[in-house]
Parts: sequence; structure tokens; C-alpha cells
Amino acid sequence: MNITINGYEIVAEEGITILEAAKRADIHIPTLCYVNKGTSDIPCEICVVSVDGIETPVRSCITPVQEGMRITTESKELQAKRAERMTLLMETHFGDCKAPCNLTCPGQINVQGYIAHVAKGQYEEALRLVMERNPFPFSVGRVCPRFCETRCRRILVDEPVSINHLKRFVADWCMAHKIELRIPRDASTGKKIAVIGGGPSGLTGAYYLARKGHDVTVFESAPKLGGMLRYGIPDYKIPQDVLDYEISTILRMGINVRLSQKWGEDFTLQSLKDQGYEAILIATGTPVDESLDVPGCALPKVILATKFLRDMSEGKAGKYGRSAVVFGGNNVAMEVARSLLRNEVGQVTIIYPRAQTEMSANQRNIRVAEKEGVQFLLMASPVNFSDTNNGIAVQLIRTKLGEPDEKGIRYPEAIPGSTVNIKADTVIVAQGLSACREKFEGGELESTLELTPKCNIKANPRTSLTNHPGIYAAGDVTSGPRSVIQAVVAARRAAENIHAQVMGITKTVAESRFNFSRGKGFDDVDLRNFEGVNIKLREKMPTRPPQIATQDFSEIKLGFSEQMAITEAKRCLSCGCRAFDRCDLKKLATDFGLDPSRTGMAAQPVYTEKIAHPVILVDLNKCIYCKRCQNSCEYNALEISADDVDDKGRPVGLRFNFKENCVNCGACVDNCSTGALNKKDVLVPVVNEAIREVRSTCPYCGAGCQIILKVKGNTLMEVTADPDQAPNYGALCVKGRFGHNFVQHKDRLTKPLVRRGSQLVETSWEDALNIVAKRFFDIKAMYGPDSISGFSCARASNEENYLMQKFMRTAIGTNNIDHCARL
Amino acid sequence: MVVDPRRTKLAERADLWLRILPGTDVAFLNGMMQVILEEELWDKKFVEERTEDFDELVRLVKKYTPEMVEKITGIKEDQMRQAARMYAAEGRHAAFWGMGITHYVTGTDRVKSIANLAMLCGKIGLEGTGCNPLRGQNNVQGACDMGALFNTLPGYGGLETDDLFDKYEKHWGIKLPRRPGKPATEVWENVFKGHIRGLYVFGEDPAVADANIAHVQAALEKVDFLVVQDIFLTDTAKMADVVLPAACYAEKDGTFTCTERRVQRIRKAVEPPGEAKPDWQIISMLSQRMGYHMHYNSASEIFDEICQLLPQYKGLSYERIEKVGLQWPVPDQNHPGTAVLHREKFTRGKGLFIPEDYIPPVELPDEEYPLLFTTGRDIARYNFSSMTGKTTQIDEISPECFAEVHPGDAQRLGLKEKNWVRLTSRRGSVQMRAIITDKTQEGTIFCTYNHLQALVNMLTLDALDRLSRTPEYKLCAIKVAVLGDELPG
Repeated sequence: MNITINGYEIVAEEGITILEAAKRADIHIPTLCYVNKGTSDIPCEICVVSVDGIETPVRSCITPVQEGMRITTESKELQAKRAERMTLLMETHFGDCKAPCNLTCPGQINVQGYIAHVAKGQYEEALRLVMERNPFPFSVGRVCPRFCETRCRRILVDEPVSINHLKRFVADWCMAHKIELRIPRDASTGKKIAVIGGGPSGLTGAYYLARKGHDVTVFESAPKLGGMLRYGIPDYKIPQDVLDYEISTILRMGINVRLSQKWGEDFTLQSLKDQGYEAILIATGTPVDESLDVPGCALPKVILATKFLRDMSEGKAGKYGRSAVVFGGNNVAMEVARSLLRNEVGQVTIIYPRAQTEMSANQRNIRVAEKEGVQFLLMASPVNFSDTNNGIAVQLIRTKLGEPDEKGIRYPEAIPGSTVNIKADTVIVAQGLSACREKFEGGELESTLELTPKCNIKANPRTSLTNHPGIYAAGDVTSGPRSVIQAVVAARRAAENIHAQVMGITKTVAESRFNFSRGKGFDDVDLRNFEGVNIKLREKMPTRPPQIATQDFSEIKLGFSEQMAITEAKRCLSCGCRAFDRCDLKKLATDFGLDPSRTGMAAQPVYTEKIAHPVILVDLNKCIYCKRCQNSCEYNALEISADDVDDKGRPVGLRFNFKENCVNCGACVDNCSTGALNKKDVLVPVVNEAIREVRSTCPYCGAGCQIILKVKGNTLMEVTADPDQAPNYGALCVKGRFGHNFVQHKDRLTKPLVRRGSQLVETSWEDALNIVAKRFFDIKAMYGPDSISGFSCARASNEENYLMQKFMRTAIGTNNIDHCARL
Repeated sequence: MVVDPRRTKLAERADLWLRILPGTDVAFLNGMMQVILEEELWDKKFVEERTEDFDELVRLVKKYTPEMVEKITGIKEDQMRQAARMYAAEGRHAAFWGMGITHYVTGTDRVKSIANLAMLCGKIGLEGTGCNPLRGQNNVQGACDMGALFNTLPGYGGLETDDLFDKYEKHWGIKLPRRPGKPATEVWENVFKGHIRGLYVFGEDPAVADANIAHVQAALEKVDFLVVQDIFLTDTAKMADVVLPAACYAEKDGTFTCTERRVQRIRKAVEPPGEAKPDWQIISMLSQRMGYHMHYNSASEIFDEICQLLPQYKGLSYERIEKVGLQWPVPDQNHPGTAVLHREKFTRGKGLFIPEDYIPPVELPDEEYPLLFTTGRDIARYNFSSMTGKTTQIDEISPECFAEVHPGDAQRLGLKEKNWVRLTSRRGSVQMRAIITDKTQEGTIFCTYNHLQALVNMLTLDALDRLSRTPEYKLCAIKVAVLGDELPG
């Protein structure tokens, strides 16, 4: 029969619904509950359309087409109606789309994802996932302030998951096992890009630019790469060999490096431009120590912190005597003090004009310094340094906090007449760091770089651009001293901006802020969320005791053992929704421009009872009662019902159960419109990152079911099937949908093995193949080709079976070839 | 209609379930045909036009009277008559079978008897009819198509066809051996005799999967040189001299041919772990070192060579099966594939009736080994679980295997639910727990074979079918010792 949809004339089969007719004509009508010709008994009503001559919109899923029908599927009225229905449904939906750890991490690293990998023993994959957003897992895994752990929902049960120690574990494990990550690099773009500075931000920028296929050169003023990681953070926190390894993994992406190249002397911004660099990223950090404006500050025994730490790093430690004072309350001051202890300076005192809690250093660092024996002299400022026969006389004055200024900040003021005199063999000044003294030197472009009042480069936070076109800046050079992860994030963003500019493309849109949440602050989170979670305290990081650790510069924290890492990873509550990439509720809400943080979402869980199933997780708090699970089940093996409806017609009192005849095929999960049903084993809650869908054939029985492998990076996340593809039309058995963990199982063979006595030992391909060829050759020579027999493989491809029999018939010269067809 | 000694899930859903005594299918099939002839239910037109040697069939099956068949198979006359009428009735009826038909010394007799029945009733050559083996492995069809067989070249050309050899010799540029090879099931005996000295095992685990594995394991110990190419360190690989790490299906490109002869793609989705490589690369590298030039840049190049040589694959290419696979034969580039075989005529022209007499199973119960033992699959597991065993949730669905014992046998044995038992055949023994159920019939113990914890192939029989050289996996005689609630020692 003839109908029109949105003005298009369509011939539709008699008896089918408007929804079906539209689908066949490739016209999309949104729906949440329609599947297998069935709908919910409380229908979603999203599929409403207007039909000429009928006053109110009709549900296209139940309205049959009629001759001459004129249908409209998109209009303001329909949009409003759909949005109203969506809003009602969203108000009952309860859960976290994204985990708080992921939301809190400045790098937005898929924390839950890599922890899930660790729990499964997939350390290599875990590291790959981290490297997508952070190329410094070794360093960040050792020094991160751990923003993520402060928001871990596990705090409401016992203690947060030791996220950062797990990150370090996977990095260290991969180093110990000499894992080659083989992260692919995009095809070469032929674009030359210069990065000034080989510290964490410079190398991060270089890494992500190289990954995009650009020709990147890093210019570093020091003889070695690493920046503050090498010259600012002592070995007891990040050992040099670890840092060397970390940098080597970054450079493997294919990055040119020019060492001992001083900006302003050996090259300038203009000279780089002249050499054809299409973009320049300035990532020089904050190399300039602020000095103390105190008489005597130029004495040889008064040392600037950066120089001192660099001497430590380069093994050029001098004699520092028996006592030292350090001026400053930042992280650098803590490292200086602790390094002095390790240089046999018995008495180390940090002097600071405010209270300890006001120090800018991380409180964790302050506590550790204190434990190691660093003393603190607070509320005091230096007035004068003078040389004496036995050390430096330091004159101090006591301070108090003055009245708040207009911004409410209270500055320390000297208390008149309160001078104190102390003696020290060494004085180290750690007052703070900045990007440059007053301006950058080198040329016109340098001297006109726009700076902030604190002498850092002013860069647009959105575009990373400085005031000069094509010249970008990121990391501490723009922000002043921050954590490593913050430098990494800034540089990664800059790399994205540079990539977009040099390629002339628009930057990929920032991650959507769309998020359902079980509660933003801890007070908002209902404790019923954690019913049934047993208390299990976090694994303790093995640490050398302070009295021993201060004897040398060896690393203090020894790292988790494999067992500890797995135990710790299993503490993760997996807050983020595992249906993140397939949730139709989210997809439609986004399409309709609805944001649950404005339109409303449920605030507490209604259903806490666990529904047991071997391969499926059920969370009815996310259920919107579309009933696609029940309607898609070919075995009638599950039931969902509602006791009643509320005043807005929404179901309440949901009941859900799997029946005895369930065959665990998982079709219900693949049809779920939200994360109410989930596969237990889906690994990564994917943040908006690219997922590839690779079509393939199930490797189990001979039915030849067509499957879709959902892949992220090098991770096989889950297996689904296309409902429109022969021969299985979306159907799979429990093996076909769930039995693919073997692909990335840690027991896979990864290297050729040869027998040495009773042992099989790893060897190279070269060696293994030569042994096989020689032995077969010898057997053939001694006993004839028919003394060798080959078994081919009914699990392998046609191509491989063909080659195997060809090999036996040609290279060996026998028909002794067979496979398990008869077995 | 389901014919099965065991009350399977499918049997529970059947309109008619015939509980047959294990190993007696040929008698049953002949009995069906006897009834069909007697009641004049056969398709006279089809038999007249499409077949030959009908008289031979009549001569043989007429002695399979319902009384005789009932005595052999345990199936009552009325049930057999009902089955015969259902199958022979108007309409499209198809026969499907699995390893319960083929894993016998008389496996080929059974398959021929099914074909006889289908031809007799004209249930072949049309959609919805035919003889349909359900192939157990993803690419067992393809492996056969490719000539990974001791007795045929790729595309099922027999070793006696000289023209074909000439063609292959020309294409492959080497003189080929024309003497017959040895089937996999005869390799072990030949190792003991010193005839086989080197073994290249690619993707198989005979140390647990073959019949009578104690014998196989001894042979693997004895063989001079063993190479295993696999994705895991299987029990066979543990005994190898060299182990080559292979990529799995998700890490390479290629094709599988499924049970309906449909050639379908697999595609590389992830990188292989460590230094593992696709099998086709490994075989090529080895061939190069053995002095036979083999070089391909991609799986697709190999497929093109296959399509040049195999008449069934001639019209195929990766391009053509990009979206939907095609069913061979595909004789040319425009051919849409062949969903139904034997439409107008059979491969040999007329369909030949090859009637076979019923031969009893090799190892029948006796005083010492009074019970029958048979095996099957667990849907959640695949073979010996080297793949499915890596999904921990599958352990929850199917944590262990049980010996299924009929209540009557349980009473005689003094067996209680979940008792440990030791099953012993003439070849070996295994221990597992038992459950008491009438899913299995009296006198037969059933067990799934998917759990490494109980290697049931310690028990199974390696007597071989005279044509296919398939062992009699499905039936042997055993004795049962009840060990009690706990496993002793």
C-alpha cells in the first residue's frame, strides 16, 4: 500500500506497523522498548509519530500502515512529547555513568578500566590503557598526588582503592618482563613540529604528536631528558634507571631528540620557524629559582634548591656539614631536606613563615619528611646570613599573620624585636620556581611572549596558544609548579590542539559531561549502595623504614607484589557503568539534548537485592522497564514485572528473575536499553573513546555464527552479534557471547620454546625454526619423508589448512597429513 | 523427532523421542526403511528417476522386521512405525546428526543408511531436506575442503587421479608424493613400529583429545621429534621438543567454512600476544627453511591461490564475501553460491543405495565390564576447555562433570547421589562424582568430556571405522567402583 513518511512516498507491505515501514525505508524513528515485534506493557512512547487526520500522536510500533496514510516523524510537538517521556524515565534511572575516580583524575584516565585489567592479570593491557592518556605511568605512579583516590566510593566502605600503586605496578611489571607495548603510530603526516623542553610536559606533547604521525623534535638544554623528573625529584622517589626506561618507552614512538640545546643560545623561536617547524610547543617548565632577598644570600654556602637537586641527580654532591636549614614550604623544600639527610647532614631544619598546614607542599610529603627526621621551624623568616668560622650565622625573625587583605589573604608579618640566631653549615633556598626571570631571551619572538604576573607564559587554556600564532605552551611553564599529571594533561591537550592546527581539522569534541551519578559528594551517596560489600582494607605498600631509607638514595617504596596488586584491584567497586558505550537511554537523551543533572535523576537505590546469574549482572536501579530483555529471550527464560505504577504511570516494585531453563546465551544483555543488565566480564567502562567493531566468525562450533568483536586499542572488550546478519541473526550461545576471554588470557604462548633437557625454555623464532627445519631434514634423510606426519587444525583458517597440507606434500614430501575431522 | 539414547534438552522438546540403545542406529534405520517399504510410503518417482541399486536395498532391509529391530534397538514397533510415517510423510523433512552417528567403527555405515533413507523418501535436493551433519568445529569443513586429509588433495581430488596431480605439480612447481598417507588415528601405532619419527602437530591436543590417550601419550613420549604449534601450552605441547606460539582467530585475517559450506571471513581485531604469529606465517617461514619457497604477503593471497585450484571455491574472493559469506560450490565470479546440493542430480549422477547390515558395537558389556559408557558435550564448554576454560564464569555454569547413572544401576551399585566413582575400561580409569538420573538409560553411564579433571579418553576405544578411520569414541564397556563421599587418599 502507498503511504508517505515525511513527504516521501513509500510502498509498504500490508499489515506491518508504521515503525517497521519506516525502518525498511531507512527512516529512523527513535524507540526504547520495541524489540522482536514486542513492546513493554508500559510502553516508552518515544516512537510516537503524527498521522494526518488523527489529532494526537500515535505509537508507530503498534499502529498498522493504512492506504494513503500521511505520517510525520519529526516535529516540535513530537520532540516535546518524546522529551517529556524521556525525562520521566530518566527521573527513575539511578547509577553512575562514569566512576568518580575517572571524573576526578585531571588526565581522565580510565581508572576503572585498567584496574579491571589488573584484577584479571592483564598488566600489559592495563598499561596500554594508561598510556592512552598518560605516557608517564612509572613517574606518575610514584609521585602522583592521587586526586582520584580522594573521591573513591570505597571510602564509604573502608579505604579508597590504592589506584596509583596499581598504576605503578603495571608499569614496573611490564618493565621487569621486558614487554614491548607496540602502540601503533599513525601514518606519517610529514609535518615538522618542535618541542622545547624534555621534561614531563615536553615529552608528553612529543609522544602524542608522534603517535599522530608527526615528525617531532625535542630540544632539551640539559645533557639528559627528564626535566624535573630527573633533576628535581630525587632517586629515592624515582630511580634514574626507572626514569631512563620510561623515557625510552616514550621515545620508541619515534621522536627526534637534540640534547644540550639552550633556547636563546643554540636556537630561537625564529630559527625553528625558519627550519620549517610548523608548530612549536614550549614546555620548559619552571627552571628559575626565586632567590631570597636577604643580605648574604650570595654566600657560597647558600645554595639554590634547583642547583642542589641537580647536583644530587648528577652525583655531584658536595660536603654539606652536620646541620642545614632549608627555606621554603613547597614540595621542592621537602625533597631538599630529605636529600640532605641522605648526605649525612644530621640536623635538617625547614624554616617557614607560616603554619605547617599552610605549606604548599603535599601534606603527605610533609609527613614523610617529618618521619625521616626533618625538623620544622615555623613562623620565622630570614633576615641575614653571614659567614663565620664554623658555618653560617642565620639571623631569623619571628612572624605572625597580619590582618586579611581585600582578598582575605593573611600575610606573615615580622614581630619586631623577636630575632633569633641560629647556625648552620649549609643554607638552601627553596622559595619557589618560575618560568623565566622577567622575560624570555633570544630574540623578538621570545621577548614579546606574553607573561603572567608570576613570570609564566600566558597561554589560552582552551587552545594552548601563546600570543604568537603557531607557538604553543603547556605545563609548568604556563601554570607554575604543579603535579606531573597536570603537566601531562596540559601537554596532551596542547598536542591535540597542535594536531588540529597543522592538519587543518577541527579538534575532536571534548568529552560529554553527560553523567548520571549516585551522588556527587560523599554525603549525597546512600549507604545502601554498598550493602553486601565486605570490609577489606587496602594493601599496604611495602616501604623501607625511615631510619634505613635515609641511609641512601635507593627507592623507599618497593612496589606491590603481583598478588597484592590483584587483591587490591579486586577491591574496586566498579562504579562506572559497563554499558557506557551501548546505553540507549544515554544516546537518546544526548540526541534530545537532555541533561540529567538538570532534568533530574534518582537519588537513591530502590533495589538492593542481588539477582544471581553466572554470567549476567542485574541492577534494577538502572531499569527503565522497556522489557526488551524478556521480549528478546528466545527461550522464555526470564520474567520482569511491576507491582504497580506511580502517579506518573511509571512502574514501581520491579520483579525480575531468570528461570531454570536459561541457557546463559546473553541475548537479554545485548538487548538491554541501559546498564540494568550487564555481562559480568565486560572489561572497560569506556569513556568516549573510539571503539572498533570488527566482524568475524565465531571460533567454536561449525554453525558459522557471525559475531562482532568490540575492540578498544588492543583490548577485546566483548562479543555481540548483528540481528540483521545471516546465518544466526543475532543469536549466539553462551560460548559465542562469553567464551572469548582466552584471546587475551595470560597463559597464551608468547615466545617460541625449545626443549633443553626436561625443560622447555624460551628462544627466538630464528632458533626455533632452524631447529625444526634441521630435525625434519635429518629425519627425512635418514628414514624418508613418510616418517614425518602432520596434524592440521580444524580450528584454524582455510588459508592455514591449505598451507599446512601444502607444506607436508611439498616441503616434507608426504601425504601423512590429516586433522581431527575424524576425531 | 529425536533419536537419542539419552534424554537431552532437545529430546525433551521433541514431538517424538525414541530412546535407542547406544550403538544400534543402523538396525533402527534399516527398520525404518523396512516399514516404509512395507507400508508403501517411499517416493517411487524419486527412486525411479534419481537412484540405482534399489533392489539391493530392498533385499537387505526386508529382514529388519519390527520385532528384530526392537530386540536390537529397544525401540517399540509402534514408535518405529510412527517415526517412519512422520519422516516419509509429504513435506520437506531434513535429517541432522552429530558425533553420536559418526564416532563408531560403523560410523560410515550409519551415514550411508541415513542417505539411503533420505533417497528412499525423496528427502534430498530441496530446501529444508537433505542429510545434514552438524560439524563440531568451526572449520572442520574447511580443513577437509583444503585437503588437510591423508587421502585427498584440496577440493576432494583422490590420490589416484593423475591429472589432478599433474595440475598441482605444475602449480606448486614440485614433484608430489602419490603414495597414500596415514590417517591421524593410525599415527600412534606407526610411532611404536618406528615408521613415524617426526610429528608436526598444529592446533590439536591429541594427548587429551584422542581415544585411548594412555596409548597416545606413550607414543608422544616415544616419537623422536615433536613440534607443536598452538595458542596455549597444551598437554601435547608440554611433551614437545619445539613449541611455536600462534595467533588466534581474533588476531589474523582468513576464512572459515561452516557446516552449511558457507565460506565466511575472520578479521584481525587485536595484536597477537608477545611474539606469537599467524599460523600461515609460521608455516611459510618453516617451508622457506626447508627449502621449498613459500611466500605470501597476506591471507588474501593464499585465498586467491585456493580459488585458483579448488573448483568449489573458483568464484570466491574476499571481496565477494565481505558482507555475507557464500556457500560452495561457487563455480564462477557471478555465481550466487549453492545453498542446496544434489538438486537435479548427484555428484556421481544417480544416487547409489549402499545398504549396510547392522554390526554390533565393538566392545559389549560382559561380566568383568558390565556397563556401557558414552560421552557428550556440555553446551557451556568446548572440547577440553582450553578456550572456554579461560572465562571464569563458565566454571560457575559448569563446574565439574558427573557420571550420570540410572537409578536402577545406582541401586545395584549401592551408589548415593554425588558419590565419587571410579570408571574403568580395559584401557584406563578416571574418577569423578556421580549423579543419579534417568536422563541416561539403565546399563549406560554417560559423562561429558569437557573437563580436564576427568580425562574420559583414558577409557575410550581406539578401534577404527574401516573407511573413515574414525575411532569408536562413543561406546565402550566399563566397570564402576563406588568410592564414597570423599575421594580416598
